[in-house]
Amino acid sequence: MTDIKQVVTKLFKSNNISIPANKNELFDKFLQDEKNAASINVIVQNLNELMAKWKLEDKVIEIMQQPVRVLNATVGKPYETKFDFNKFNWKDIVAFEFKGLEEVGLRYDEKTKQITGVPTQSGDVKVTFRFKVDGQPEDAPFNEKIIPFIINPDPKSLWKNVESDKNDPHWKENDVTKFAPLGDRHILVSSKRGRSHANVGSFREDDFAFKDLENGWSIVVVADGAGSAKLSRKGSAIACNSVVEFFTQKESAEGLVQFDELLQQYKNNTGEDIQKKLNHFVYNNLGKAAFQVHKNLESFAAKENIPLKDLNSTLIFTLFKKYDVGYALLSFGVGDCPIAVLNKDVTEVTLMNWLDVGDFGGGTRFITMPEIFKNEKFATRFGFKLVDDFSYLMMMSDGIYDPKFVVEANLPNIKKWKEFLADLGGKNEDGVKVELKADNKEIEQQFSRWMDFWSTGNHDDRTLAIVF
Amino acid sequence: MRRLPVYLLLDTSGSMTGEPIEAVKNGVQVMISSLRQNPQAIETAFISIITFDSVAKQVVPLTDLASFQMVDIKATGTTCLGDALKVVSTCIDNEVAKTTAEQKGDWKPLVFIMTDGIPTDDWQSGLEEFKKRKTAYTVACAAGSGADSNLLKQITENVVSLDTADSQSISKFFTWVTASIGVTSTKVEDGGKEVTGLGELPPPPSELNIVT
Repeated sequence: MTDIKQVVTKLFKSNNISIPANKNELFDKFLQDEKNAASINVIVQNLNELMAKWKLEDKVIEIMQQPVRVLNATVGKPYETKFDFNKFNWKDIVAFEFKGLEEVGLRYDEKTKQITGVPTQSGDVKVTFRFKVDGQPEDAPFNEKIIPFIINPDPKSLWKNVESDKNDPHWKENDVTKFAPLGDRHILVSSKRGRSHANVGSFREDDFAFKDLENGWSIVVVADGAGSAKLSRKGSAIACNSVVEFFTQKESAEGLVQFDELLQQYKNNTGEDIQKKLNHFVYNNLGKAAFQVHKNLESFAAKENIPLKDLNSTLIFTLFKKYDVGYALLSFGVGDCPIAVLNKDVTEVTLMNWLDVGDFGGGTRFITMPEIFKNEKFATRFGFKLVDDFSYLMMMSDGIYDPKFVVEANLPNIKKWKEFLADLGGKNEDGVKVELKADNKEIEQQFSRWMDFWSTGNHDDRTLAIVF
Repeated sequence: MRRLPVYLLLDTSGSMTGEPIEAVKNGVQVMISSLRQNPQAIETAFISIITFDSVAKQVVPLTDLASFQMVDIKATGTTCLGDALKVVSTCIDNEVAKTTAEQKGDWKPLVFIMTDGIPTDDWQSGLEEFKKRKTAYTVACAAGSGADSNLLKQITENVVSLDTADSQSISKFFTWVTASIGVTSTKVEDGGKEVTGLGELPPPPSELNIVT
């Protein structure tokens, strides 16, 4: 009774009708009148119904308006994210379903409260969350909330593999992998066009060459044409061929013969200033070769009427020969390609050259630059080592060095080289294994597959030469 | 991996209310989805959004394209461009990795500023801070007649202007920003070379005037 009285009093009051105390008794009677009581009942019922309806609608609207974000997914990558109603403070959901998840390879697991699966297609997907809240009649339609859901394309699928123009006068094969005997050892070498070049149908700019020379010497050359230079693919090819050509010439071969004598003195520690003489020898013979490369590039540029810098290329080469006392290794390097020698039991690494890495990315030096020959550092570009034996001689372009060693500081670290060898041995994401054995019939195929490793952000040309 | 950090400084002052702010939001969305289709960009570009009105704040920290989600932004208040320059300076200090012997740092950041008005705060002191940071390039866009291109010229030499801050012009600006980020990420990935100025970016569409 008091309840009803209150309701009606309030109702009257809101319509400017107040009940003074002296009319209280009359008002009570008024309320008790059967017909009036029935009317009040209807009013109260309607009011309650109205309020309940509003509360229900409000619940739905709250959920509809609440911004909900789910983690972005990527095609082909296992996906898993919490979609927990409690976390969103959705307590009144009694029925729900997702629409649009299954179409893209995902599902909702009620037990774990997770959206899981492997997305099958990319795009800005609109997932519909259909739900009913407590209090909604059973036959009421579902409420629908659109949840924006981003599925990224698989980055690997975005790279195109566009054929390079075979009619180009300076065309170069995209991928080359070779295995051959070299000196008393073997060489495994591969040079591959980077994905960034394949993506636009441009050419491989790396190059390599190797050869057994007379008098027991062998040579390996690697060159990396500059990405910014128009004809660097030709520059690196000329560089590699010129070095080999130089040492094949009669005079150069004769020049190398003197080394036998010098080494003997070095070994016996006889002869005056033997270290100086050796340095001199290396400087003279290898320096001439480097200068010859420069000259050849210069004359090619002149002939083609192009600026020399269009042929910009780095260059490293190593000569090695087996003596009774061990292996003699001679090297030259300009640019950012390392030459490393690993000792027999892989406990030590010897770096034959220092790298031209500028203060900023791309600050390297090229064999096309005349200033390198005049620079005081020129003499330090040569290397000479006499080692008892070696397990591997490795030469690589930055397409390998960047993803596998990242920074120069890692090169003198034998641990990094052991990891690198383990990687070659199959310890990698795809489990691709190269068995570095001379009798491995599959060695070229294995190595070629290994060279295709995926490394985010590293899609330059790759060249790796391994003498073992 | 070396990241290419991209900072977008967006004016969210009251004058941007309505069509302009909607166009900016849409522009960012379209930019992100189209960059996601670019293999070089999706691997290298990291985007951050800094808004400025009565105060500047980083509403999206430096995030890779694959995880990026745009937040809702609203136009209100004044134009604290100076504060935005301070905020971006702090963000660069905290988020952009420097090259050391042991690690390869990130590429120098790209900064895009878009404003439709004149700064209401002490923008010079913000500029002083900003000038101490190295960027590959900074591009400022004066959107509509209310912005002062000459003032923006003091922040960066790369200034473009839009005659009106309508949705068509704003969307063209973002299309051009998208292409610029695409070109820059390709250049750093391929040649290891950083882009340094407008001259190396794609030519702007006709709606975008280069302020000389």
